[in-house]
Amino acid sequence: MLKILIPTLLLIPTSWLAKAKWLWPTTLLHSFIITLFSLAWLKNTTETNWSTLNPYMATDPLSSPLLTLTCCLLPLMILASQNHLAQDPLVRQRIYITLLVTLQLSLIMAFAATELTMFYVMFETSLIPTLILITRWGNQMERLNAGTYFLFYTLASSLPLLITLLAFQNKTGTLSLLIIQLLGPIPISPYVNIIWWTTSLLAFLVKMPLYGVHLWLPKAHVEAPIAGSMILAAVLLKLGGYGMMRLMLILSPLAKELCYPFIILALWGVLMTSSICLGQTDLKSLIAYSSVSHMGLVAAAILIQTPWGLTGALILMIAHGLTSSALFCLANTNYERTHTRTMILTRGSQMILPLMATWWLITCLANLALPPLPNLMGELIIISALLGWSWWTIIFTGAGALITATYSLYMYLMTQRGPVPNHMISMNPSHSREHLLLTLHLLPLLLLVFKPTTIWGSAY
Amino acid sequence: MECPEGVLLLLSFTAIFFSCEHTVPELEAQLAAMRKKAADALPGSSWSPFDINPNLPPERADIVIIGGGVMGWSIAYWLKQKERVREGVKVIVVERDLTYSQASTVLSAGGIRQQFSLPENIHLSLASADFMRNINEHLGVLNEDPVDLQFNQSGYLFLASEEVAHIMEENYSTQRQVGAKVTLLSPTQLKEKFPWINTDGVALASYGLENEGWFDPWSLLNAFRRKAMSMGVIQCCGEVTDFKYTVSMMTSPGGDPVVYKRINSVKVQMPKGLEYQMVECAIVVNAAGAFSGKLAEMLGISSNPKDTIAGTPVPVEPRKRYIYVVHCPDGPGLDTPFLIDYSGMYFRREGLGGNYITGASPKEADEPDTSNLEVDHQFFEDSVWPRLAYRVPAFEKLKVTSAWAGFYDYNTFDQNGIIGDHPVINNMYFATGFSGHGLQQSPAAGRAVAELILDGNFKTLDMRGLGFRRIMAQEPILERNIL
Repeated sequence: MLKILIPTLLLIPTSWLAKAKWLWPTTLLHSFIITLFSLAWLKNTTETNWSTLNPYMATDPLSSPLLTLTCCLLPLMILASQNHLAQDPLVRQRIYITLLVTLQLSLIMAFAATELTMFYVMFETSLIPTLILITRWGNQMERLNAGTYFLFYTLASSLPLLITLLAFQNKTGTLSLLIIQLLGPIPISPYVNIIWWTTSLLAFLVKMPLYGVHLWLPKAHVEAPIAGSMILAAVLLKLGGYGMMRLMLILSPLAKELCYPFIILALWGVLMTSSICLGQTDLKSLIAYSSVSHMGLVAAAILIQTPWGLTGALILMIAHGLTSSALFCLANTNYERTHTRTMILTRGSQMILPLMATWWLITCLANLALPPLPNLMGELIIISALLGWSWWTIIFTGAGALITATYSLYMYLMTQRGPVPNHMISMNPSHSREHLLLTLHLLPLLLLVFKPTTIWGSAY
Repeated sequence: MECPEGVLLLLSFTAIFFSCEHTVPELEAQLAAMRKKAADALPGSSWSPFDINPNLPPERADIVIIGGGVMGWSIAYWLKQKERVREGVKVIVVERDLTYSQASTVLSAGGIRQQFSLPENIHLSLASADFMRNINEHLGVLNEDPVDLQFNQSGYLFLASEEVAHIMEENYSTQRQVGAKVTLLSPTQLKEKFPWINTDGVALASYGLENEGWFDPWSLLNAFRRKAMSMGVIQCCGEVTDFKYTVSMMTSPGGDPVVYKRINSVKVQMPKGLEYQMVECAIVVNAAGAFSGKLAEMLGISSNPKDTIAGTPVPVEPRKRYIYVVHCPDGPGLDTPFLIDYSGMYFRREGLGGNYITGASPKEADEPDTSNLEVDHQFFEDSVWPRLAYRVPAFEKLKVTSAWAGFYDYNTFDQNGIIGDHPVINNMYFATGFSGHGLQQSPAAGRAVAELILDGNFKTLDMRGLGFRRIMAQEPILERNIL
């Protein structure tokens, strides 16, 4: 664990001491090396499932894919931000990289935490660099509103979680995940258990986001700069899923009836947000709503608490993280050239940037869960698990899959096909940096086709 | 923190106690001020510690239309009309003078005619006349007063002398072919129809029977503006002083270097102040009228050699024209058309009280000075009145009641509009240079530009002939006027 944490921590002095010319290449290279080291986590050798164990941190098959995803994302964020930060003064660039690294540190420690207290503290800590990223480097006035929504939705829902954790510690004497998984059902009075269940999970449901409390996500994703959007879509939403998976261990007898309304809400959200996607004019907004839609499936799968459900949720989380981040990168390449996110004004790019159109195609196909990509694996497993829970869910999941395919193709056709507007005829050609960025997103996705067991989690 | 009511109560008691000589209204005013301050402190109010100028435009917009005249607002309206989903495109219109004191739109004589020689012009005017006849279908806003353009369809009457009669006949056949409702009149028919005309020297006359006449430009401008703003277009009062653009050097297939410019943001300066806002945008529309040439200059066109594509300036400059309002109680009746004489003089009826609007085009050599909008009354005495009195004897006894001057957005190249995108500046579209017939073509021209931006090319009317290509290729498309 330290062999990842210390280098990540030391990326902060690196970003402050590196010379101006070497700032971005250096931080990029070092974060790539950290990613390579983090791949070692994917091999789970122990029978108890907990590897790289020390009193405060550990990895297990649930957290190691998410950890690797997080470490993988830092170099990609640095790669993506290089262009739009080039005009900023040097100090501001250094601060930006420091923020990204701080966010990375808090996320690694959150996923690797064995104590729920540390997880909670890191969960909250990750809010601050993200908030600074959105409000300082976002593009429009609405970013202040977006930052407020983001911060207060998460804070307001996670304060009850703190109370719950403290009460839990008081009752059982421990908050360590290693011990909690072995505890039996906890005796709580029958009316308090509803509150207990809700307060434990509300923070994560808001973070996922669940359909009714998803309002912060389109705002935050759209107003954030590219690195902010990437980390939000790829990792921060998964924090919610991961937290839910961990906390439901302590809630087991209560979840039987209480999860019902939330599953329905999640599935309804899949349908609703996919439909909203079809009517979006702003490209980033479309991708943001698509994230809500996919995460609705994940939320439903986690809530039904079956092995297949949890497996499917984890696979979909990883696959969606890579896909959504890639989509935001593609939207950003468009934005940097035309300075608009409106889809109606940036059409026909296939004629002008053909190789970028290839990446668009692969990413849009991944988004609509094309076999054999892990997106389909995750969705299929989730749909099957939900079907086992109730026959009626097929209506929601089937219609959701259909509409997902529709809006993904709509996004592809709208941005790539169609008449080329006059103002796009001579755009800057694609940078090799952008091609590298997208390859590094799609390569892991394609590699996962061949060994999906890496992201199957504890149920494998 | 005490509740606001407690604070109010305490302070009011203090006020009463210590300053009993204050009257009740003053105390009430103080109370109201305190209550307002308390309400501001509570969440939900729009107070912010940053004292930003609320008139600044937003930091980014999709399309920035520079120029808030009838052309700019027409384009804004059509963009919103065609956007297919609500809030599809974010449009802002930047106008530097909201009183429109120097804008060509409101200072125009307001005429509309289809009697051009170019089919494109005839199409534009015909479509615009159709638009204006059904103006409330297009520009009516729910719950607001209906639009009344005061469209007098009295027609235009062109008078041709012997030398230019053949041009008039050719124009007439083009106009009929395109669909304008025009008729030719011989001098006798002319005298029969309009007995107040002196037909000496007139060989042929061309009279518009439908869709021609005049209307109130201010109403049209306000109708477009009201409708566009109700559809979500943001109006900004400011002046565009600079552009931020990126330059890419490329080579044409022939080996010549071509420099492409792409506008990244527009610098909008607040009137009467130093504050400015850089508006990041995808597309800029130049609808600045008489000042379009000056605006395009900010993009550094003149720094390139003159004979290259990149160095060709936008050939629009302001030209001053005078309009005089005269009162003649014995003048022509209520069916007076907009008469244009071959000598360059024109007049039309204004209102129902025996007032007429008249003017003349000055000769090329005597173009008035464009630094101000002062009226030269000597011009009326020397050039307008004699021709007016010759053509209509009743006008020998008249009185000039008022006069004003306005700018033409004069296209020095071929005096016809420029609609389209610039070959070198990638994301700037033009709708300017109409040289006096911009107002009448504004609805259709706005639709053409909106189609170009949102659909990629013209859909209803093909205006490729009015694009920039003719200026690059130095092929002017001149109107074959009889003047």
